[in-house]
Amino acid sequence: MRTRLAPIVATLALLLGAAGCAGDSSPRYDEVTAAPTGRQPGPGSATPGSSTPAKPAVENCNPRASLRPAGALPQPGKMPSGTWMAKVHARGRLVLGTSQDTLLFSSRNPLTGKVEGFDVDMGRMIAQAIFGDPDRLQIKVIGYNERVNSVLKGEVDVVADTMTANCARWKDVDFSSIYYEAGQKVLVNRDSTAKGIEDLGGKKICAAAGSTSYDNIGTVKSKPIAVAKASFGDCLVAFQQNEVDAISTDDTILAGMAAQDPYAKVIGERYTEEPYGMAISKGHPEFTRFVNAVLEKARQDGTWARTYEKWLGRFGPVPQPPGAQYR
Amino acid sequence: MTTALAQRPPATAAYSPPSYGLVDRVAGLRHHSPGRLQLILTTLLTLGLLTGLVAGLTAHSASAGTADLGNRAQPLMVEAETVYSALADADTTAAQAFLAGGLEPAALTQRYDDDLARAGTALTNAARLVPDDSDAARAVAALSTGIARYSALVATARANNRQVLPLGASYLAAASQLNRETLQPKAQALFRLATDEISAGYDAARSSWWLILLLVLSVALGVALFWSQIYLSRTTHRTFNVPLVAATGLFAVLILAVGVLFANQRTHLDSAAQKGSAPVTALAQLRILVLTERADEALTLAAHGSADKEEDFERASGAIYFDDPRLAYAERFTTTLKDRHEAYLTIHGQVRKLDKSGDYDGAVALAIGEQATTTFGDLTTTLDQAIDNRKAAFTDEIGDAGDGLDLLSVLGPLLAIAACVLALLGIRARLEEYR
Repeated sequence: MRTRLAPIVATLALLLGAAGCAGDSSPRYDEVTAAPTGRQPGPGSATPGSSTPAKPAVENCNPRASLRPAGALPQPGKMPSGTWMAKVHARGRLVLGTSQDTLLFSSRNPLTGKVEGFDVDMGRMIAQAIFGDPDRLQIKVIGYNERVNSVLKGEVDVVADTMTANCARWKDVDFSSIYYEAGQKVLVNRDSTAKGIEDLGGKKICAAAGSTSYDNIGTVKSKPIAVAKASFGDCLVAFQQNEVDAISTDDTILAGMAAQDPYAKVIGERYTEEPYGMAISKGHPEFTRFVNAVLEKARQDGTWARTYEKWLGRFGPVPQPPGAQYR
Repeated sequence: MTTALAQRPPATAAYSPPSYGLVDRVAGLRHHSPGRLQLILTTLLTLGLLTGLVAGLTAHSASAGTADLGNRAQPLMVEAETVYSALADADTTAAQAFLAGGLEPAALTQRYDDDLARAGTALTNAARLVPDDSDAARAVAALSTGIARYSALVATARANNRQVLPLGASYLAAASQLNRETLQPKAQALFRLATDEISAGYDAARSSWWLILLLVLSVALGVALFWSQIYLSRTTHRTFNVPLVAATGLFAVLILAVGVLFANQRTHLDSAAQKGSAPVTALAQLRILVLTERADEALTLAAHGSADKEEDFERASGAIYFDDPRLAYAERFTTTLKDRHEAYLTIHGQVRKLDKSGDYDGAVALAIGEQATTTFGDLTTTLDQAIDNRKAAFTDEIGDAGDGLDLLSVLGPLLAIAACVLALLGIRARLEEYR
C-alpha cells in the first residue's frame, strides 16, 4: 500500500483532493494569478491535463505525517492559557468547516435539519475535548474549493470535510493525523457495462469543482469528459437528470450516493489513495497537536471504531483505524 | 378596342396635359360667380368630410388606446409583477420549508402550492395580454417552460425529502438556482417591458397627433365656413344662408363635443397615471424588494455559511423607500408599511446576530418562527391591500377616461355628413339661380 501510495500521492493526490475525493485543488485566495472563488471549470468543460500541480515540495513529503501530540490532553474546560484551545474556549464554540451534502460524512439530516456524519463527529470529538460538551460546535458549510482558503482566512478553526491530506495543501495548512483512508472510484448507472473509469472514454464524469477528484478525471488515459459542479450533491442531481454519465470521487462519498439511488452502482478498484486529515491553520500548531492527541485517544478508547460503526458500519466490519504518523 | 389600347402612348406621357388643363380650368372658376360658388362648395365639403372622418378616427384611436391601457397594458404589468413575486415567494417558502427540517410544514407547502398556482394563472393571463412575437411574448413562453421545470425539481426534492434522503436538499438547491438565476430575471424583464408598455399606452390613449390634425382641420373649416357665409351675404340678397348656419352649428356641436370629451379623457388619464399606474408600479417594486429581503435571509441560512446573501439583502433594503413621491396617493398605507418593514428589519437583525454568534438553530427558529412569519406576512398583506386599492383607483379613472369616446367615433362622422348635406343644400340653392 505504502509503495503504491508514494507515486500516486505525489502526482495525483493534488488532483484528487485530500478530502476523500475532494481535494481542494483550487488556488489560494491570496494568490494573484487566480480567483479564489474560482468555479473555474464550467460544467461540461473538458480538462485533460489540467492537473499539473506537481510542485517540487510534493516529492519529498509524507502527507500522512503530522505534528506529534504534546503530552496528555488537558481536562475539558481547562485549556492552557495562550493556546488556540483557550481562545476557542473563551469564544464558547468550535467552528467546524464542512459540507452539507456528503451523505455519511457530513450531510444535512432531512428529518432534523442538522448536519451530521463521520466528519461532523470528528468535530464533535474536538468540541468534547475542549468544552466537555460535543454540542459546542458551530457548523459552517464551505464549498469544496474553499476548504484551504477558509482555514487561511481564519473563518473556521478546523476543516473536516473528506479532505485529502496532500503535500500541496501541506504548504498552506497543517493537517491532523489521518483519520480515514479512502480512494477514488466511479459511480455509474446500474445497467452500465463499464468495469472501471478507463471504460468511460468520451463520457461525461462529474466531480465537485475544486476537488482533487475533478483533476484526477482529467488524467485518465481514455479521456472521459470532466464536468464540474458546485458540490457532489449537485453531481448526483446531474446524474439523475441524465446530464452526466458517471460520478467519480472517493469510494466513501460514492457509497453515500449509491445509498440514495438504487439505480446506481460503484465500480472498479480504488485508483488513488485519499488519506483524510483535518485542516488547521499553520498559525497555531499547538491546536494541531491537541487535535492529534484527541484522535490518538479516539483510536485507543474505541471512539473511532464506534463512530465508524455508526456511519460506515453497513459497508462491512470496522477496520483498524489508520495509524498515526508524526514528523 | 385592343388596337386602340395598344396604340395609346405610355401612361406617364398621357397624364401631364390633362392635369395642366384641370388646374387651369379649376383656377379659371374663380373668375365668375357660379365658379366661385362651386369652389366654396368643394372646399366646405372636403374640409367638412375630412373633419368628420378625423374626429371619428381620433375618438376611435383615443378610445382604443384607453381601452388597451386599461384592459391590456396595466393588467399585463400587474400580471408580470404577480409572476415575479409568486416565484420569489415560492423560492423563499421552499427554502424555509427546507430549513425547518423534517417533513415540510403543511402551511409552507400550502403557501408554495398557492404561489405556483398564482404564478401559473398570472402567466396564462399575461400570455393573452402580450402582443404576438414580441419580447414580452418570448419571456412569457420561456417562463412557462421554466416554471414546469422548476416545479418538477421541487417535486423531486420533496420526494427525496419524504424518503429522508439528503439528496432532496441538492434538488432544492438546483430548483432555487433555476428560480433565482433564470426565472426571476425573466419575470423582471417582463415586468419592465410591461411598465414600458404602460407609458407607451398613455401616449396612444392621448392620441395627441390625431388631436392636432383635428384641431388644424377644425380651424380651417371654421375659417372656410365663416368666410363663405360672409361672401354669400355680400353677393346675395340674404344676410343668412340658413342651411349653412345650421351646418356651422352642427360643426360647432361636433367640435364642442370633441373638446369636452377629450378634456375629460385627459383629466382622467392624468388621474389614472397619478393615482393608479404610478403607485401600483412603485408598490409592485416595493413588494419585489421586500420579498428579495426575505428570500436572502432564508437562503443565507439554508446555505449554512457557504453563501452569504446579506449584501444582496442590504442592497434590497437600501432601495426600499416609502417616501417615494409616486406613493402620494397611497399615503394612508405608507405609514403602516414603514412600521411593518421596520419591525421585520428588527427581527432580521436579531436573526443575523444569532447566526453570527454561532447560534444557528436559534437563528433558524427565529427566522421561520411565528413572530417573523406574522410580521412579514402583515407587511406583504398591507402591500397587497395597497396595490389592490390603487388598482381599483386606476380602473375607475380609466373607465371614466373612455366615457363617450366610442359614441363620438360614430356620431362624429354622422354629424359631419349631416352638416355637409346642409352646406350642399344651402349653396346649391344659390347655384340654381345661375342656371
